[in-house]
Amino acid sequence: MKAVNLIPSEQRSEGGLATRSGGAAYAVLVLIGGAAVMAALYGSASHTVESRRGEVAAIEAHTREVQQQASRLSPYTSFIQLREQRVQAVAELVGSRFDWPAAMGELSRVLPSDVALTSVNGAIATSATSTLGSGKAPASGASASSGSSAASGASAAAVSSATPPGAVPTFTIAGCATSQSVVAATLVRLRLIAGVKSVELQSSAKSGSSGGGGASAGAGGCSASDPVFTAQVAFEPLPAAPTLVETPTSGSGGTKTSAGGTDASAGSTASASATTGAAR
Amino acid sequence: MTGRDRLVIMGIVVLAVLAGAWIAVVSPERKQAASLEGQVASAQQALAGAESQAADARSAQARYVEAYKSIVSLGKAVPPQDEVPSLIYELDQASNQRSIEFNSISSGNSAGAGGGGAAAAAPASAASVFTSMPFTFVFKGSFFGLAHLLSQIDGFADATPAPGSAGSTATASDISGVDVSGRLLTIQSVDLTVEGAASSPARLHAPVGGTGTSGSQSELKATITATAYVLPASQGLTAGATPTGPAGATASPSATASSSPAAPAVIRVTP
Repeated sequence: MKAVNLIPSEQRSEGGLATRSGGAAYAVLVLIGGAAVMAALYGSASHTVESRRGEVAAIEAHTREVQQQASRLSPYTSFIQLREQRVQAVAELVGSRFDWPAAMGELSRVLPSDVALTSVNGAIATSATSTLGSGKAPASGASASSGSSAASGASAAAVSSATPPGAVPTFTIAGCATSQSVVAATLVRLRLIAGVKSVELQSSAKSGSSGGGGASAGAGGCSASDPVFTAQVAFEPLPAAPTLVETPTSGSGGTKTSAGGTDASAGSTASASATTGAAR
Repeated sequence: MTGRDRLVIMGIVVLAVLAGAWIAVVSPERKQAASLEGQVASAQQALAGAESQAADARSAQARYVEAYKSIVSLGKAVPPQDEVPSLIYELDQASNQRSIEFNSISSGNSAGAGGGGAAAAAPASAASVFTSMPFTFVFKGSFFGLAHLLSQIDGFADATPAPGSAGSTATASDISGVDVSGRLLTIQSVDLTVEGAASSPARLHAPVGGTGTSGSQSELKATITATAYVLPASQGLTAGATPTGPAGATASPSATASSSPAAPAVIRVTP
């Protein structure tokens, strides 16, 4: 059977609306669809903008409020900084000291029993006074708005130590021994003092010899036949003082100041303590 | 113009209209949204910074009472004025406890008592540092009495070893605080001589193990040069702070309410 098209032949080529409009209908549909998508995207972006604006405003308002609160309390912050700087400065001064008692105790322990001393002159040789604690000034912003005198006081973080790191403690020892070999043994024993860098004999002479030690035979209880000697004991240079760091203290809400030690900051106290411990 | 041409032109026009709408309307709005995202992030950062500052400030407020005690206690080690009378009193007390005679005190190191090689006195420092006050002390007593006296003087202001590092090794330098019981002194030189050496047979003899002669009990003259420190003149002891609050702060009840009276003090003072 053969199919027959009953549509008149003059109407067959016109087709539907799309065909009749020459494709304009498709274009309109695409345009409408595109406009809808654009509108959706615009609406979404606009909504995002509005919500972000509100969010920024809220955050900025909260920030201002928090900043005002911090500003009101800034004198407390400045005061805590002042206190920390003073504690640190004092701790650095304490840490930079030479341990005289330990050195004297060691000296008494290493000397042979047949040696007598007529004088001990200990001094810390330094050419210049260094400044400890520099660079510990607080952040300027922390106290910028406080206007308190604590803020001005906070600038005094640095402190000049009379025994700065690098200074060399020396003992000049004068005395007498029962023989020259005892003097030699004394020099060896003096080197046993921990922290001693060098021991130098300046002179050792019996009576009548031309010793330059400044101590004459017979002085200080030494017999005329005893050799009188003078020696200089130089210690290691004083190390850098430890730097304090804040560590929280549990359960109190406060803090405890402690020193973050470094290898180079083995204070003279610690060094001398170890020395003493070793000698004892 | 064929139907196909018309379709192509219409397609181009539609695309152009959509692209124009995108460029003119949608894209700027999306860019603004993106930039606002950045503003939100930076505002949140600023807020975090401000909250951190505020937390620090609240913590400082909570620690104020303890800090005030500490700073007042530190004034015993480094006072705002020279406080020579209290220094003399402390040295006299310490020497009496060690049966040492406190002979003299003089300001400055002019006596040259430190002997050859004595350290130069710390120069008077600028206003931004602790001011140095050099002194020369003369004591008389036994060798070990003088050694103990020096130990006691060091103990006026001493470091507290941190737990676990109490001098067990040579590098154990951790300290947990400062014990203050008197004036902070830095000893620069110690000159020990036998008192009346030319005429007396007494010998400076430090015996090993305490079995030596009576030399350790000989009367020695110790000339000590040391430096004390005072706060700069521009600072008071507490920089204007009072027990209730620092200078420039409004009194807040939380300043004291939030502080634990049992909070550990950094500075321990032994009267």
